[in-house]
Amino acid sequence: MAQPFPYTYYACDCYDSNGTSSTKRASQLLREAEEDERTFDPRSPRANYSLYPLEHLLYCEDCQQVRCPRCIIEETLNWYCPSCLFEVPSSVVKSDGNRCTRSCFSCPLCTSPMQTFSLDTTGESAPPFILECQYCRWSTLEIGIEFEKGQGIAAQLARLGNGGKHIPTNKERDKERERRKEIEGRKARDVLSPSTESTNTDADRDDEPPSHDDLFSNLTAFYKSQVDAQTPSNPFSSHDINFSSPSAYSRIMNLYSTTGSKKNKRSKPSAMREAASSLEGLTLHDPANEAAAIERIKKEGWGVTLSPAQKHAQINPNVRFVDQLRPLATLLCTKRSKRCRSCRQILTKPESKMTSTRYKIKLLALNHIPRLSIRALNATPPIPVASRPADSFDYNALKPGMPSHFLLHLSNPLFDPIKVTLATPSTTPGRVQSRVTILCPQFDVGANTDIWDDALSSSLSPMRRGSQLPDQAPQIEAGKIWDRGRNWTSVAVEIVPGFTDAVGSDGQNELEEDEDVLEIPIFVRIEYETDAGADERGLGDSRGSKGEQEKREEAFWTVVGVGRIKG
Amino acid sequence: MSTSGERKVSASLGRSVRGAAPRLADLASTPEAPRTPTLGRSVSSLFGSPGGSFRTDDDYVVIEVGARFVRAGFPGESTPRCTLAFDPDNQRRVGDYRQWDPECAQKRSNPNKGQDWGQEFELYRMDLSRVDLGVVEDKFERVMRDVYNKYFVLDTKPRRILLALPPKMPHPLMSTLLDVLFGGVQAPSITLMSSPVLSTVAAGLRSALVVDIGWAETLVTAVCEYREVHEQRTVRAGKLLSEEMAKVLNAALDEHVGYQEGDDISFEEAEEVLSRVGWCKSKPRSNRRTLYFPARTSPILEEFEDAVETPEPTMTIPLPKASPPSEITVPFATLAKPADNALFATETALNEFDDHELPLHHLIYRALLFLPMDVRRLCMSRIVITGGVSALPGLKSRILAELEALVQAKGWDPVRNYGTASARHEQILRQQRDARELRRQEGDDTITEPLDPDSPLPAGLRGHEEDSIDAKLAHVALRNGPPPASLAGGIVRGVETLGPWAGASLVAQQRIRGIVEIDRERYLQHGLQGASKEKEVSVVPQRQSMGPGVVRGAGERASWTLGVWA
Ligand SMILES: [Zn+2]
Ligand SMILES: [Zn+2]
Ligand SMILES: [Zn+2]
Ligand SMILES: [Zn+2]
Repeated sequence: MAQPFPYTYYACDCYDSNGTSSTKRASQLLREAEEDERTFDPRSPRANYSLYPLEHLLYCEDCQQVRCPRCIIEETLNWYCPSCLFEVPSSVVKSDGNRCTRSCFSCPLCTSPMQTFSLDTTGESAPPFILECQYCRWSTLEIGIEFEKGQGIAAQLARLGNGGKHIPTNKERDKERERRKEIEGRKARDVLSPSTESTNTDADRDDEPPSHDDLFSNLTAFYKSQVDAQTPSNPFSSHDINFSSPSAYSRIMNLYSTTGSKKNKRSKPSAMREAASSLEGLTLHDPANEAAAIERIKKEGWGVTLSPAQKHAQINPNVRFVDQLRPLATLLCTKRSKRCRSCRQILTKPESKMTSTRYKIKLLALNHIPRLSIRALNATPPIPVASRPADSFDYNALKPGMPSHFLLHLSNPLFDPIKVTLATPSTTPGRVQSRVTILCPQFDVGANTDIWDDALSSSLSPMRRGSQLPDQAPQIEAGKIWDRGRNWTSVAVEIVPGFTDAVGSDGQNELEEDEDVLEIPIFVRIEYETDAGADERGLGDSRGSKGEQEKREEAFWTVVGVGRIKG
Repeated sequence: MSTSGERKVSASLGRSVRGAAPRLADLASTPEAPRTPTLGRSVSSLFGSPGGSFRTDDDYVVIEVGARFVRAGFPGESTPRCTLAFDPDNQRRVGDYRQWDPECAQKRSNPNKGQDWGQEFELYRMDLSRVDLGVVEDKFERVMRDVYNKYFVLDTKPRRILLALPPKMPHPLMSTLLDVLFGGVQAPSITLMSSPVLSTVAAGLRSALVVDIGWAETLVTAVCEYREVHEQRTVRAGKLLSEEMAKVLNAALDEHVGYQEGDDISFEEAEEVLSRVGWCKSKPRSNRRTLYFPARTSPILEEFEDAVETPEPTMTIPLPKASPPSEITVPFATLAKPADNALFATETALNEFDDHELPLHHLIYRALLFLPMDVRRLCMSRIVITGGVSALPGLKSRILAELEALVQAKGWDPVRNYGTASARHEQILRQQRDARELRRQEGDDTITEPLDPDSPLPAGLRGHEEDSIDAKLAHVALRNGPPPASLAGGIVRGVETLGPWAGASLVAQQRIRGIVEIDRERYLQHGLQGASKEKEVSVVPQRQSMGPGVVRGAGERASWTLGVWA
C-alpha cells in the first residue's frame, strides 16, 4: 500500500503557477481562474505529481511558500560512491561516467551489490579474482572474466571484454583503423588485378563484426576526417579552432540553405560523402546475425535472454543474451544544496564533510505550516498518536453507508497563534462518493511557545497533555472544537463512506486500483500576525523583540487518506 | 525498369555531392507530390547555420524523447547515460513505495479501465485529443529530474540541449516538452533535430529511407542529403505488436490447466515475452498472395522453411505473476505470429487496408514509389530500420525480403492498373524476373541483387562476373572520387544504424549547429509562436560578414525557425 492509513498529503501548487509556460499562458490563466472554484481531486492523474508527505517539503521564507522537489533547484556540492564512500573530485565525475572507478559493482541480473573473491584455493588472497553477486550468485565467471588483481576492478574490467578479450582504448582503435585502411587502400589500388576480392568484406572477415563502440568510434573518425578535408588547413590552428569555423559547420553536412548555396561554390569542390566501409562506420544488414539470434533463442530458451529492465540498466542497452551482460559500476551519489526556484534562496545545505549527515541550513515545511492529521474517534479513550499501530480501529475496512466520526488534528509549529479555516467538498470526488462534514471548520490554534522542548517534536504526543485541559469528556457538537492543547486543536468530522458497489451501475463494474480508498481533499487556510522581522533573524530570536506586526495568510490543499472501504 | 543506367544517375549524384543547390524542384515534380508539409518546409534549414559557439562539447547534453523512453547522455559517447522508461511505478506519489512491497510485486497490475493498451506506459501520443498535456508535463518533468539528479549529476554550469524528436510533433506537445527543459532544467538553448536525420547520420549515410518502427506508429522517412523529402506512416508498430503478443499468450493460457477466467496477461508480461523470445520469420510467406504473378517458381525456400521440425521446438515461458504462479509452453513458431499479424498482416488482402494501416513492406514500397527516380535509387539501397521494435530478431531481414519481392513484382510504375496493356507489361516483368531467378539459381549468392540487370553493382559489393569496363570505371572513380561503396544505389539494401541518440551524440560532438535552435529567453517570451514563419531563415549574411573563425561566441540570432516542425 501507498502509506499506512491514515495519512496526509500536502499539495504544492507549483505545477500550475510556474511562469515558464509560454504557449499555454492564456489558457492557463483561464484554467487557474476556474481552479479557484474547483476542488482538488486526489484521483486526477496530475495529483500524483503535486502531492507530498509533509516531511518531503521545504519552505521558502522569502516567498513564504512551500517548496516541493519540483520548485527547487539543486546544486551538487560533492560526489561520492555510496558503497565505498570514496569522494570523487568533480573534475573526473563526467569522464568516469558518474560511476565508481574502484571496485564497487552491482549485479546485472538482480542489482544486488557484488563482492570481489579470490578463486585461489590455497586460502590466500591470490589471483585470479572474480566479482560475485551476494544475492543471486551470478559472477563474472559466467561471462568469462577473471581479474589479476583484487583492487581496481573497474580499471581492469574496462579493458576486459566478455570472454576475456582485450577491449581496445580509443587510441588503439584509431591505430588499428589506420592500419586496416592502409591495407584496404593497397588492395583498392590493385583493383585491376584479376584476383579482386571485394575489399571491405575481406578486411572484416578477419574477426567478428565490430562492436557498437567500434562502430561509433569509426563513425566519429569518419565524420572528423570529412570535416578536416573540408577545412582549409591552417598550420596555426588546432583542430578545435578549425571545427569552430562556421564554414566548416555548414559544410560538414553539406547543408546549405538554398539561398546560401551558390556563393559557397567558390570553395574547393567538396568531397563530402557517405561512409563506405565498416572502418568508416558503415554496416550493411546481415541476415545471418538475426538468424543466429533466433536459432539461439530457440535452442537455449527463455533463460538465456534478458528482461527489459536488465537491458536498460546496461551501459550498452543493445544486448539480448545473458553472456553479454556486464557488471554495473555503482552510480555515484551526491550531496546537494537546494534553492528556491523563484528567489534562489538556499533552502537546504548539507555539511560538506563526507561522513556528516547534518545540515547547515534546512528549512523544512513542517516547521512552517501546520500539520494536519486524521484518526478514528473510538469509543475507547483517545490513544496517543505515536502509538498508532496499537490502534484497534481497522482503517482497511471502512463500512459503506455507516456514519462514523473521525478527529482532524491540527498542530501549529509557528510561534504565533493561528486562525484556521478548513474547507472540504461535502462529497468526495470520484465514483465512490463519500459524505464528509467537518463539524467545526473554523478554529484557533495556540502558538508553539515552548520552543526548546517541543520545536522538533511538536506533534509527537500532544494529546496527553491536551486532554488535561477540559474537565469533562469532549462532546461532538457542531461549531465546537473537540479538544485543544498548547499548540494544537482537534475537531470532529463525520464521514459516511460511499458504496463501492454503486460503481457497477454505470456500466463499468470493476473498481480501479485504489478506487476504494477513501481520500478527502481538505483546503486549509491559516491567518496569523507575526513580528515582521522575525524571519531574517532566525528562529531563536523571534520572541524577544517586539517589532512591527504583520498579517500573514497561507492556504493550501491537503489530501487525507482515511482508509479503505470494504463492504 | 525505371533506373536508366548507372552512369547517368551517378553523375547527378556527383553533382549533389559537390554541393549544388538541393534539387527541390526535382522533388516537387514527383508524380504524386507528397501531401506532407515536409517538402515545402524544406529541412535544409535544419543544420547549416553557423554563428554560435561550440566552445567545448561539455556545453551540451543530448536527449532523445520518444513515446515511451527518454535517452539522455553526453556528446561523443556511444551510448546514452540512461534509458528511462515511463511506467506506472514511476508515476506514483512521492512516498508511495508499493512497488517495493514484495506482496504487490507478486501481483499482476491491471490497467485502469478506459485506457488503451499500454497507455500508462506512454509519455505522450501524437493524437492530442486523447492526451492530458498537464500529465505529459508532469511525467516528463519527473523523469528529467531523475536524469539530471541521478545520472548526469553535473555541476551548475548551464548546458545547452540537443534534443532528438520525431518530426512533426504537434506544437502543443512540443511546447510542453520545451517548457520543462527551459523551465525545470533551465537549459540556455535547445537545438532540435529530427530523429530520421539523426538515424541517417548514425548509419554513416547522407541519404536513407529511415523506417522507424516505434510504439504507436511506424514512420517511413526518405532522407536525401540530410533533408527529409517524404514521409509515410502506419499504425503497424510496437503497440499493435504487443497487443497481438498478449492475444497469442492469452490463447495459450486458455488451454492451460489451472487457468482462471479473467486472469489475463498483463502489459508488462506481453512486453517481456516479446522482447525476450519474440521473433519474426525472416522469409516472406506472403508472396503468393501479394505478387501479381502466381509464382512460376513456387519458391522452394518457403516450403523448406515451413517444413515442420520434429519434434516441434517449443518455448517455456514463466509467468510468476499469474495466480497461481505458473509457466506455459508454446510452440516456438507461435512466438513469430504476432509480428506476422501486426506488422505484415499476412492474412489480409491489400485492398482491405486503410491508408494509415498499411503493412510495413507496402508502406516502404509506397514511400519509395513517391520519390523521384534518383532519390529513390539512393534510398532503396539505404534502408535504415530503427526504433524499438526493430530489435525483434528476423524482422529486418523480413522487411527487406518482402520489399525485394514487392519491387520485383511491381517495379516502379506508380500506375497499378494497366488495363489492356497489362498483359504485355506483366510479360516484360515476368521475363525480367525469370532472368534474375535464373542467375540466382546459378549460384550468384550475393545478398543484395541488382534490381535492374543492367545496372552494375558498386565494386565493393560486386560478384565475380563483372565486366572489365565497369571495373576500369570503378578504378577511375576510386582514384578521383568517393569510394564506390558510398555510391551504391538501385538495389534493395539494408544499412544498420546506431540509432537517433548516437546520431545526436555524433552531431553534437562534431559541433554542428542546427537551425532549429531555440533560445531560452525568446522562448519564454513568445513560446513557439516566436518562430519565424519563413521556412528558411538565412543567417548566411551574418556569417559572411564575420568570416570564418570569428563567429565563435557570437550567440544571438536575428530569428529562428521551426524547420521540419513548423
Ligand atoms: Zn512545488
Ligand atoms: Zn565505490
Ligand atoms: Zn545478483
Ligand atoms: Zn523563494
